[in-house]
Amino acid sequence: MNCQRVQESFLDHQDGTLPADESAALRAHLASCPTCQREWAALQEITRKLDALPVPAPSPRLREQFYAMLDTHERQATHSGNPFAFARSRLDRFFEALLPHRPSLQFAFSLALLAGGILVGARVLAPEPATVAVPVVDPSSKEEIAALHRRMDQMGQLVADSLLVHKSTNDRLQSVLATMDVANPDRKLLADLVSALAFDPSVNVRLSALEALAPHTKVDVVRAGLLTALPRETAPLVQVGMIELLAAAGEREATPILDKISRDTTANQNVREAARRALAVLRAPLSPPTDNQNASNKPAQPILT
Amino acid sequence: MAEELPTDHELMIAVRAGDIPRLGDLFERYHQRLFAFFVRLTSQPSTSEDLVQLVFYRILKYRHTYRDEGKFTAWIYHLARKVAADHWRKQSNTPIATDPTELPEVVDTAPDSAEQTAGREDLALLRVALAQLPVEQREVLVLSRLQQVEHRDIAQLLETTPGAVKVRVHRALKELREVYFKLRRERAA
Repeated sequence: MNCQRVQESFLDHQDGTLPADESAALRAHLASCPTCQREWAALQEITRKLDALPVPAPSPRLREQFYAMLDTHERQATHSGNPFAFARSRLDRFFEALLPHRPSLQFAFSLALLAGGILVGARVLAPEPATVAVPVVDPSSKEEIAALHRRMDQMGQLVADSLLVHKSTNDRLQSVLATMDVANPDRKLLADLVSALAFDPSVNVRLSALEALAPHTKVDVVRAGLLTALPRETAPLVQVGMIELLAAAGEREATPILDKISRDTTANQNVREAARRALAVLRAPLSPPTDNQNASNKPAQPILT
Repeated sequence: MAEELPTDHELMIAVRAGDIPRLGDLFERYHQRLFAFFVRLTSQPSTSEDLVQLVFYRILKYRHTYRDEGKFTAWIYHLARKVAADHWRKQSNTPIATDPTELPEVVDTAPDSAEQTAGREDLALLRVALAQLPVEQREVLVLSRLQQVEHRDIAQLLETTPGAVKVRVHRALKELREVYFKLRRERAA
Protein backbone atom coordinates (compact mmCIF):
# COMPACT_ATOMS: atom_id res chain seq x y z
CA MET A 1 0.00 0.00 0.00
CA ASN A 2 1.37 3.41 -0.96
CA CYS A 3 0.72 6.64 0.95
CA GLN A 4 -2.04 7.93 -1.38
CA ARG A 5 -3.96 4.63 -1.24
CA VAL A 6 -3.57 4.50 2.54
CA GLN A 7 -4.86 8.06 2.96
CA GLU A 8 -7.82 7.42 0.65
CA SER A 9 -8.75 4.46 2.86
CA PHE A 10 -8.62 6.47 6.10
CA LEU A 11 -12.37 7.21 6.13
CA ASP A 12 -13.33 3.56 5.64
CA HIS A 13 -10.80 2.56 8.29
CA GLN A 14 -12.24 5.13 10.67
CA ASP A 15 -15.81 3.95 9.97
CA GLY A 16 -14.76 0.30 10.35
CA THR A 17 -15.92 -0.58 6.84
CA LEU A 18 -12.49 -1.47 5.44
CA PRO A 19 -12.02 -5.23 4.75
CA ALA A 20 -9.88 -6.96 7.40
CA ASP A 21 -6.88 -7.64 5.15
CA GLU A 22 -6.76 -4.03 3.88
CA SER A 23 -7.18 -2.75 7.41
CA ALA A 24 -4.18 -4.85 8.52
CA ALA A 25 -2.11 -3.55 5.59
CA LEU A 26 -3.09 0.02 6.46
CA ARG A 27 -2.06 -0.43 10.10
CA ALA A 28 1.27 -1.93 9.02
CA HIS A 29 1.89 1.05 6.72
CA LEU A 30 0.92 3.54 9.41
CA ALA A 31 3.37 1.99 11.87
CA SER A 32 6.28 2.77 9.57
CA CYS A 33 5.24 6.03 7.80
CA PRO A 34 5.51 9.31 9.77
CA THR A 35 3.74 11.29 7.00
CA CYS A 36 0.67 9.07 7.09
CA GLN A 37 0.78 9.07 10.89
CA ARG A 38 0.51 12.88 10.87
CA GLU A 39 -2.30 12.77 8.29
CA TRP A 40 -4.18 10.15 10.30
CA ALA A 41 -3.86 12.14 13.53
CA ALA A 42 -4.99 15.36 11.82
CA LEU A 43 -7.96 13.60 10.21
CA GLN A 44 -9.02 12.14 13.52
CA GLU A 45 -8.80 15.51 15.21
CA ILE A 46 -10.89 17.33 12.58
CA THR A 47 -13.54 14.62 12.35
CA ARG A 48 -13.78 14.47 16.15
CA LYS A 49 -14.35 18.21 16.26
CA LEU A 50 -16.79 18.06 13.40
CA ASP A 51 -18.77 15.31 15.08
CA ALA A 52 -18.81 17.40 18.28
CA LEU A 53 -20.45 20.40 16.59
CA PRO A 54 -23.75 21.01 18.41
CA VAL A 55 -26.86 20.37 16.36
CA PRO A 56 -28.81 23.61 15.94
CA ALA A 57 -32.50 23.36 16.86
CA PRO A 58 -35.31 25.21 15.09
CA SER A 59 -37.66 27.55 16.92
CA PRO A 60 -41.28 26.50 17.70
CA ARG A 61 -42.33 28.75 14.80
CA LEU A 62 -41.33 26.04 12.31
CA ARG A 63 -43.68 23.42 13.79
CA GLU A 64 -46.52 25.94 14.04
CA GLN A 65 -46.12 27.00 10.42
CA PHE A 66 -45.92 23.43 9.19
CA TYR A 67 -49.12 22.32 10.91
CA ALA A 68 -50.86 25.50 9.78
CA MET A 69 -49.89 24.64 6.19
CA LEU A 70 -51.14 21.05 6.62
CA ASP A 71 -54.37 22.31 8.10
CA THR A 72 -54.92 24.79 5.27
CA HIS A 73 -54.28 22.06 2.72
CA GLU A 74 -56.73 19.68 4.39
CA ARG A 75 -59.42 22.33 4.57
CA GLN A 76 -58.95 23.32 0.94
CA ALA A 77 -59.16 19.69 -0.13
CA THR A 78 -62.24 18.74 1.87
CA HIS A 79 -64.31 21.58 3.29
CA SER A 80 -63.67 24.51 1.02
CA GLY A 81 -66.28 25.72 -1.41
CA ASN A 82 -64.60 23.69 -4.07
CA PRO A 83 -66.33 20.32 -4.18
CA PHE A 84 -64.64 19.63 -7.47
CA ALA A 85 -61.18 19.52 -5.84
CA PHE A 86 -62.48 17.04 -3.31
CA ALA A 87 -64.06 14.92 -6.04
CA ARG A 88 -60.84 15.06 -7.99
CA SER A 89 -58.80 13.92 -5.00
CA ARG A 90 -61.27 11.05 -4.43
CA LEU A 91 -60.98 10.21 -8.11
CA ASP A 92 -57.19 10.22 -7.87
CA ARG A 93 -57.33 7.83 -4.92
CA PHE A 94 -59.78 5.59 -6.75
CA PHE A 95 -57.57 5.30 -9.82
CA GLU A 96 -54.47 5.00 -7.65
CA ALA A 97 -56.00 1.93 -6.01
CA LEU A 98 -57.37 0.57 -9.28
CA LEU A 99 -54.45 1.00 -11.62
CA PRO A 100 -51.21 -1.01 -11.43
CA HIS A 101 -48.15 0.75 -9.97
CA ARG A 102 -45.35 -1.17 -11.65
CA PRO A 103 -44.29 0.34 -15.00
CA SER A 104 -44.31 -3.09 -16.67
CA LEU A 105 -47.87 -3.78 -15.48
CA GLN A 106 -48.92 -0.26 -16.49
CA PHE A 107 -47.53 -0.95 -19.95
CA ALA A 108 -49.38 -4.26 -20.19
CA PHE A 109 -52.57 -2.62 -18.92
CA SER A 110 -52.22 0.16 -21.49
CA LEU A 111 -51.73 -2.40 -24.26
CA ALA A 112 -54.82 -4.29 -23.14
CA LEU A 113 -56.81 -1.03 -23.16
CA LEU A 114 -55.49 -0.13 -26.59
CA ALA A 115 -56.32 -3.58 -27.98
CA GLY A 116 -59.82 -3.41 -26.44
CA GLY A 117 -60.31 0.06 -27.91
CA ILE A 118 -59.27 -1.07 -31.38
CA LEU A 119 -61.60 -4.09 -31.16
CA VAL A 120 -64.59 -2.06 -30.02
CA GLY A 121 -63.79 0.73 -32.48
CA ALA A 122 -63.57 -1.73 -35.38
CA ARG A 123 -67.01 -3.14 -34.54
CA VAL A 124 -68.79 0.09 -33.75
CA LEU A 125 -67.29 2.27 -36.45
CA ALA A 126 -67.31 -0.33 -39.23
CA PRO A 127 -69.03 1.10 -42.35
CA GLU A 128 -72.50 -0.17 -43.12
CA PRO A 129 -72.65 -2.71 -45.93
CA ALA A 130 -73.39 -1.05 -49.27
CA THR A 131 -76.36 -3.33 -49.89
CA VAL A 132 -78.54 -1.78 -47.17
CA ALA A 133 -81.59 -0.24 -48.69
CA VAL A 134 -81.69 3.53 -48.32
CA PRO A 135 -85.00 5.34 -48.56
CA VAL A 136 -85.10 7.78 -51.41
CA VAL A 137 -84.93 11.35 -50.15
CA ASP A 138 -85.04 14.30 -52.48
CA PRO A 139 -81.90 16.54 -52.51
CA SER A 140 -83.56 19.55 -50.85
CA SER A 141 -84.70 17.48 -47.83
CA LYS A 142 -81.23 15.95 -47.54
CA GLU A 143 -79.68 19.41 -47.41
CA GLU A 144 -82.22 20.54 -44.83
CA ILE A 145 -81.46 17.56 -42.55
CA ALA A 146 -77.73 18.11 -42.89
CA ALA A 147 -78.16 21.81 -42.03
CA LEU A 148 -80.21 20.84 -38.96
CA HIS A 149 -77.48 18.44 -37.79
CA ARG A 150 -74.83 21.10 -38.28
CA ARG A 151 -76.84 23.63 -36.30
CA MET A 152 -77.32 21.20 -33.38
CA ASP A 153 -73.62 20.39 -33.29
CA GLN A 154 -72.75 24.06 -33.36
CA MET A 155 -75.14 24.82 -30.50
CA GLY A 156 -73.54 22.18 -28.25
CA GLN A 157 -70.07 23.38 -29.09
CA LEU A 158 -71.03 27.02 -28.64
CA VAL A 159 -71.99 26.28 -25.05
CA ALA A 160 -68.65 24.59 -24.42
CA ASP A 161 -66.75 27.36 -26.26
CA SER A 162 -68.34 30.14 -24.27
CA LEU A 163 -67.63 28.42 -20.98
CA LEU A 164 -63.92 28.29 -21.78
CA VAL A 165 -63.56 32.05 -21.52
CA HIS A 166 -65.03 32.24 -18.00
CA LYS A 167 -62.80 33.74 -15.39
CA SER A 168 -62.81 31.50 -12.32
CA THR A 169 -60.72 28.35 -12.23
CA ASN A 170 -63.77 26.27 -11.36
CA ASP A 171 -65.69 27.58 -14.35
CA ARG A 172 -62.79 26.99 -16.70
CA LEU A 173 -62.33 23.49 -15.30
CA GLN A 174 -65.98 22.68 -15.80
CA SER A 175 -65.86 24.09 -19.32
CA VAL A 176 -63.00 21.79 -20.18
CA LEU A 177 -64.87 18.84 -18.70
CA ALA A 178 -67.98 19.83 -20.72
CA THR A 179 -65.97 19.43 -23.92
CA MET A 180 -65.45 15.77 -23.08
CA ASP A 181 -69.17 15.20 -23.72
CA VAL A 182 -68.90 16.48 -27.27
CA ALA A 183 -68.47 13.36 -29.38
CA ASN A 184 -66.92 15.02 -32.42
CA PRO A 185 -65.47 18.36 -31.38
CA ASP A 186 -64.64 20.69 -34.28
CA ARG A 187 -61.27 22.30 -34.88
CA LYS A 188 -62.31 25.49 -33.11
CA LEU A 189 -63.14 23.63 -29.90
CA LEU A 190 -59.96 21.59 -30.11
CA ALA A 191 -58.00 24.80 -30.67
CA ASP A 192 -59.61 26.26 -27.51
CA LEU A 193 -58.57 23.19 -25.55
CA VAL A 194 -55.04 23.52 -26.92
CA SER A 195 -55.04 27.19 -25.81
CA ALA A 196 -56.16 26.12 -22.33
CA LEU A 197 -53.37 23.54 -22.26
CA ALA A 198 -50.78 26.08 -23.32
CA PHE A 199 -51.87 29.20 -21.46
CA ASP A 200 -54.18 28.46 -18.55
CA PRO A 201 -52.51 29.42 -15.24
CA SER A 202 -54.13 26.52 -13.34
CA VAL A 203 -52.38 23.15 -13.40
CA ASN A 204 -55.73 21.40 -12.85
CA VAL A 205 -57.25 23.08 -15.90
CA ARG A 206 -54.21 22.25 -18.02
CA LEU A 207 -54.33 18.62 -16.85
CA SER A 208 -58.02 18.36 -17.68
CA ALA A 209 -57.45 19.97 -21.07
CA LEU A 210 -54.78 17.38 -21.72
CA GLU A 211 -57.20 14.64 -20.73
CA ALA A 212 -59.88 16.09 -23.04
CA LEU A 213 -57.40 16.23 -25.92
CA ALA A 214 -56.11 12.69 -25.38
CA PRO A 215 -58.67 10.96 -27.66
CA HIS A 216 -58.02 13.43 -30.50
CA THR A 217 -54.29 13.13 -31.13
CA LYS A 218 -55.01 12.10 -34.71
CA VAL A 219 -56.09 15.67 -35.44
CA ASP A 220 -53.15 17.74 -36.70
CA VAL A 221 -54.11 20.82 -34.66
CA VAL A 222 -53.93 18.76 -31.43
CA ARG A 223 -50.54 17.29 -32.23
CA ALA A 224 -49.17 20.71 -33.24
CA GLY A 225 -50.62 22.18 -30.03
CA LEU A 226 -48.93 19.53 -27.87
CA LEU A 227 -45.61 20.21 -29.61
CA THR A 228 -45.98 23.95 -28.96
CA ALA A 229 -47.23 23.68 -25.39
CA LEU A 230 -44.66 21.15 -24.13
CA PRO A 231 -41.60 23.49 -24.07
CA ARG A 232 -43.69 26.17 -22.27
CA GLU A 233 -44.99 23.82 -19.59
CA THR A 234 -43.48 24.07 -16.09
CA ALA A 235 -45.58 21.63 -14.03
CA PRO A 236 -43.95 18.16 -13.99
CA LEU A 237 -47.34 16.39 -13.88
CA VAL A 238 -48.55 18.09 -17.04
CA GLN A 239 -45.17 17.68 -18.73
CA VAL A 240 -45.18 13.93 -18.07
CA GLY A 241 -48.78 13.67 -19.35
CA MET A 242 -47.96 15.53 -22.56
CA ILE A 243 -44.83 13.47 -23.15
CA GLU A 244 -46.72 10.21 -22.69
CA LEU A 245 -49.49 11.41 -25.01
CA LEU A 246 -47.02 12.36 -27.73
CA ALA A 247 -45.32 8.98 -27.36
CA ALA A 248 -48.66 7.15 -27.49
CA ALA A 249 -49.56 9.13 -30.64
CA GLY A 250 -46.23 8.13 -32.20
CA GLU A 251 -45.47 11.80 -32.89
CA ARG A 252 -41.93 11.61 -34.21
CA GLU A 253 -41.66 15.38 -34.60
CA ALA A 254 -41.51 15.51 -30.79
CA THR A 255 -38.10 13.80 -30.85
CA PRO A 256 -35.93 17.00 -30.78
CA ILE A 257 -38.00 18.51 -27.92
CA LEU A 258 -37.90 15.25 -25.93
CA ASP A 259 -34.19 14.93 -26.59
CA LYS A 260 -33.63 18.43 -25.20
CA ILE A 261 -35.73 17.72 -22.09
CA SER A 262 -33.97 14.41 -21.45
CA ARG A 263 -30.62 16.27 -21.41
CA ASP A 264 -31.79 19.25 -19.38
CA THR A 265 -30.19 18.81 -15.97
CA THR A 266 -32.45 21.48 -14.45
CA ALA A 267 -35.61 19.61 -15.45
CA ASN A 268 -37.53 17.43 -13.01
CA GLN A 269 -36.09 13.91 -12.76
CA ASN A 270 -39.46 12.25 -13.53
CA VAL A 271 -39.94 14.46 -16.55
CA ARG A 272 -36.50 13.57 -17.85
CA GLU A 273 -37.19 9.88 -17.36
CA ALA A 274 -40.55 10.20 -19.14
CA ALA A 275 -38.79 11.95 -22.03
CA ARG A 276 -36.21 9.14 -22.20
CA ARG A 277 -38.94 6.50 -22.22
CA ALA A 278 -40.85 8.38 -24.93
CA LEU A 279 -37.70 8.69 -27.03
CA ALA A 280 -37.15 4.94 -26.73
CA VAL A 281 -40.72 4.37 -27.94
CA LEU A 282 -40.50 6.85 -30.81
CA ARG A 283 -37.12 5.63 -31.96
CA ALA A 284 -38.13 1.97 -31.89
CA PRO A 285 -38.55 0.48 -35.39
CA LEU A 286 -42.16 0.29 -36.57
CA SER A 287 -43.82 -3.11 -36.30
CA PRO A 288 -45.29 -4.71 -39.44
CA PRO A 289 -48.95 -3.67 -39.89
CA THR A 290 -50.21 -7.23 -39.34
CA ASP A 291 -48.25 -7.80 -36.12
CA ASN A 292 -50.48 -6.07 -33.61
CA GLN A 293 -49.37 -8.26 -30.72
CA ASN A 294 -45.75 -7.12 -30.68
CA ALA A 295 -45.67 -5.38 -27.32
CA SER A 296 -42.16 -3.99 -27.61
CA ASN A 297 -43.10 -1.64 -30.42
CA LYS A 298 -46.34 -0.34 -29.01
CA PRO A 299 -46.30 3.09 -27.41
CA ALA A 300 -47.60 3.28 -23.88
CA GLN A 301 -51.10 4.66 -23.39
CA PRO A 302 -50.86 7.75 -21.22
CA ILE A 303 -52.32 7.52 -17.75
CA LEU A 304 -53.52 10.95 -16.79
CA THR A 305 -54.26 11.65 -13.18
CA MET B 1 -45.01 -6.68 21.91
CA ALA B 2 -44.55 -3.09 20.73
CA GLU B 3 -46.16 -2.19 17.44
CA GLU B 4 -43.64 -1.71 14.69
CA LEU B 5 -43.46 1.88 13.43
CA PRO B 6 -44.13 2.45 9.73
CA THR B 7 -41.04 3.18 7.64
CA ASP B 8 -40.50 6.55 6.00
CA HIS B 9 -41.31 4.93 2.68
CA GLU B 10 -44.61 3.52 3.96
CA LEU B 11 -45.58 6.91 5.38
CA MET B 12 -44.78 8.65 2.12
CA ILE B 13 -46.79 6.09 0.12
CA ALA B 14 -49.73 6.83 2.45
CA VAL B 15 -49.29 10.59 1.90
CA ARG B 16 -49.17 10.03 -1.84
CA ALA B 17 -52.41 8.06 -1.65
CA GLY B 18 -54.12 11.02 0.03
CA ASP B 19 -53.53 10.34 3.73
CA ILE B 20 -52.09 13.85 4.13
CA PRO B 21 -51.90 13.92 7.99
CA ARG B 22 -49.17 11.24 7.80
CA LEU B 23 -46.90 13.99 6.50
CA GLY B 24 -46.89 15.18 10.11
CA ASP B 25 -45.06 11.96 11.11
CA LEU B 26 -42.47 12.56 8.41
CA PHE B 27 -42.12 16.17 9.56
CA GLU B 28 -41.43 15.02 13.13
CA ARG B 29 -38.78 12.60 11.89
CA TYR B 30 -37.00 14.95 9.50
CA HIS B 31 -37.49 18.63 10.31
CA GLN B 32 -34.59 18.90 12.78
CA ARG B 33 -32.17 17.16 10.44
CA LEU B 34 -33.24 19.34 7.55
CA PHE B 35 -32.99 22.45 9.68
CA ALA B 36 -29.43 21.51 10.69
CA PHE B 37 -28.63 20.81 7.02
CA PHE B 38 -29.81 24.26 5.93
CA VAL B 39 -28.18 26.06 8.86
CA ARG B 40 -24.83 24.47 8.02
CA LEU B 41 -25.25 25.43 4.37
CA THR B 42 -26.59 28.95 4.75
CA SER B 43 -25.50 29.99 8.27
CA GLN B 44 -28.95 31.66 8.58
CA PRO B 45 -31.29 30.01 11.14
CA SER B 46 -34.35 32.06 10.27
CA THR B 47 -34.00 31.47 6.53
CA SER B 48 -33.34 27.79 7.26
CA GLU B 49 -36.73 27.45 8.95
CA ASP B 50 -38.39 28.88 5.86
CA LEU B 51 -36.44 26.48 3.66
CA VAL B 52 -37.52 23.47 5.76
CA GLN B 53 -41.12 24.61 5.42
CA LEU B 54 -40.63 24.90 1.67
CA VAL B 55 -39.29 21.33 1.47
CA PHE B 56 -42.44 19.99 3.14
CA TYR B 57 -44.61 22.18 0.95
CA ARG B 58 -42.94 20.67 -2.12
CA ILE B 59 -43.40 17.16 -0.74
CA LEU B 60 -47.11 17.92 -0.53
CA LYS B 61 -47.19 19.46 -3.97
CA TYR B 62 -45.17 16.79 -5.75
CA ARG B 63 -46.30 13.79 -3.68
CA HIS B 64 -47.65 12.09 -6.82
CA THR B 65 -44.14 11.94 -8.26
CA TYR B 66 -42.82 9.82 -5.37
CA ARG B 67 -42.04 6.38 -6.75
CA ASP B 68 -42.84 2.96 -5.33
CA GLU B 69 -39.23 1.88 -5.61
CA GLY B 70 -37.94 5.23 -4.29
CA LYS B 71 -36.00 5.81 -1.11
CA PHE B 72 -37.47 8.57 1.01
CA THR B 73 -34.18 9.83 2.50
CA ALA B 74 -32.66 10.31 -0.94
CA TRP B 75 -35.84 11.99 -2.19
CA ILE B 76 -36.18 14.47 0.67
CA TYR B 77 -32.53 15.49 0.41
CA HIS B 78 -32.98 15.82 -3.34
CA LEU B 79 -35.83 18.27 -2.69
CA ALA B 80 -33.79 20.03 0.01
CA ARG B 81 -30.87 20.55 -2.39
CA LYS B 82 -33.24 21.97 -5.02
CA VAL B 83 -34.74 24.33 -2.43
CA ALA B 84 -31.26 25.47 -1.37
CA ALA B 85 -30.24 25.98 -5.01
CA ASP B 86 -33.39 28.06 -5.66
CA HIS B 87 -32.67 30.09 -2.53
CA TRP B 88 -29.15 30.89 -3.68
CA ARG B 89 -30.34 31.68 -7.18
CA LYS B 90 -32.73 34.24 -5.68
CA GLN B 91 -29.98 35.64 -3.45
CA SER B 92 -27.62 35.54 -6.50
CA ASN B 93 -24.71 34.59 -4.31
CA THR B 94 -23.77 31.98 -1.79
CA PRO B 95 -23.61 33.46 1.70
CA ILE B 96 -20.32 32.78 3.41
CA ALA B 97 -19.90 33.77 7.02
CA THR B 98 -16.41 34.76 8.04
CA ASP B 99 -16.85 36.04 11.58
CA PRO B 100 -17.83 33.66 14.39
CA THR B 101 -20.12 36.33 15.83
CA GLU B 102 -22.25 36.16 12.67
CA LEU B 103 -22.82 32.44 13.05
CA PRO B 104 -25.63 30.85 15.07
CA GLU B 105 -24.65 29.66 18.47
CA VAL B 106 -26.24 26.80 20.31
CA VAL B 107 -26.76 28.02 23.83
CA ASP B 108 -25.08 25.92 26.51
CA THR B 109 -26.57 26.50 29.93
CA ALA B 110 -23.98 24.44 31.86
CA PRO B 111 -21.51 26.40 34.06
CA ASP B 112 -18.34 27.46 32.27
CA SER B 113 -14.84 26.18 32.89
CA ALA B 114 -11.68 27.35 31.10
CA GLU B 115 -11.64 24.08 29.17
CA GLN B 116 -15.25 24.52 28.09
CA THR B 117 -14.57 28.09 26.97
CA ALA B 118 -11.60 26.94 24.90
CA GLY B 119 -13.71 24.12 23.46
CA ARG B 120 -16.47 26.53 22.50
CA GLU B 121 -14.00 28.85 20.78
CA ASP B 122 -12.60 25.86 18.94
CA LEU B 123 -16.05 24.88 17.70
CA ALA B 124 -16.79 28.46 16.69
CA LEU B 125 -13.59 28.45 14.62
CA LEU B 126 -14.61 25.16 13.06
CA ARG B 127 -18.01 26.62 12.09
CA VAL B 128 -16.23 29.53 10.42
CA ALA B 129 -13.90 27.15 8.61
CA LEU B 130 -16.86 25.08 7.45
CA ALA B 131 -18.65 28.21 6.22
CA GLN B 132 -15.57 29.20 4.22
CA LEU B 133 -15.47 25.97 2.22
CA PRO B 134 -16.90 25.98 -1.31
CA VAL B 135 -20.58 25.01 -1.14
CA GLU B 136 -20.02 21.65 -2.90
CA GLN B 137 -17.46 20.59 -0.28
CA ARG B 138 -19.55 21.96 2.59
CA GLU B 139 -22.59 20.08 1.33
CA VAL B 140 -20.85 16.72 1.04
CA LEU B 141 -19.36 17.12 4.54
CA VAL B 142 -22.66 18.13 6.07
CA LEU B 143 -24.45 15.20 4.47
CA SER B 144 -21.89 12.55 5.33
CA ARG B 145 -20.52 13.69 8.72
CA LEU B 146 -23.28 15.79 10.26
CA GLN B 147 -26.41 14.23 8.76
CA GLN B 148 -25.09 10.68 8.64
CA VAL B 149 -26.51 10.10 5.17
CA GLU B 150 -25.08 6.91 3.70
CA HIS B 151 -22.47 7.26 0.96
CA ARG B 152 -24.64 5.37 -1.52
CA ASP B 153 -27.55 7.77 -0.90
CA ILE B 154 -25.27 10.78 -1.33
CA ALA B 155 -23.99 9.18 -4.53
CA GLN B 156 -27.57 8.93 -5.80
CA LEU B 157 -28.18 12.57 -4.88
CA LEU B 158 -25.04 13.82 -6.58
CA GLU B 159 -25.48 11.42 -9.51
CA THR B 160 -22.12 9.80 -8.96
CA THR B 161 -20.64 6.63 -7.42
CA PRO B 162 -20.14 5.89 -3.69
CA GLY B 163 -16.40 5.69 -4.40
CA ALA B 164 -16.40 9.19 -5.86
CA VAL B 165 -18.35 10.44 -2.82
CA LYS B 166 -15.69 9.06 -0.47
CA VAL B 167 -12.99 10.84 -2.45
CA ARG B 168 -14.97 14.11 -2.24
CA VAL B 169 -15.48 13.70 1.52
CA HIS B 170 -11.77 13.00 1.95
CA ARG B 171 -10.79 16.12 -0.03
CA ALA B 172 -13.34 18.27 1.78
CA LEU B 173 -12.05 17.12 5.17
CA LYS B 174 -8.53 17.92 4.10
CA GLU B 175 -9.58 21.38 2.95
CA LEU B 176 -11.54 21.96 6.17
CA ARG B 177 -8.54 20.95 8.21
CA GLU B 178 -6.28 23.39 6.36
CA VAL B 179 -8.72 26.29 6.71
CA TYR B 180 -9.33 25.47 10.37
CA PHE B 181 -5.63 25.31 11.30
CA LYS B 182 -4.95 28.52 9.35
CA LEU B 183 -7.70 30.30 11.31
CA ARG B 184 -6.33 28.91 14.55
CA ARG B 185 -2.83 30.16 13.75
CA GLU B 186 -4.23 33.60 12.90
CA ARG B 187 -6.20 33.64 16.15
CA ALA B 188 -3.13 32.67 18.19
CA ALA B 189 -0.91 35.29 16.51
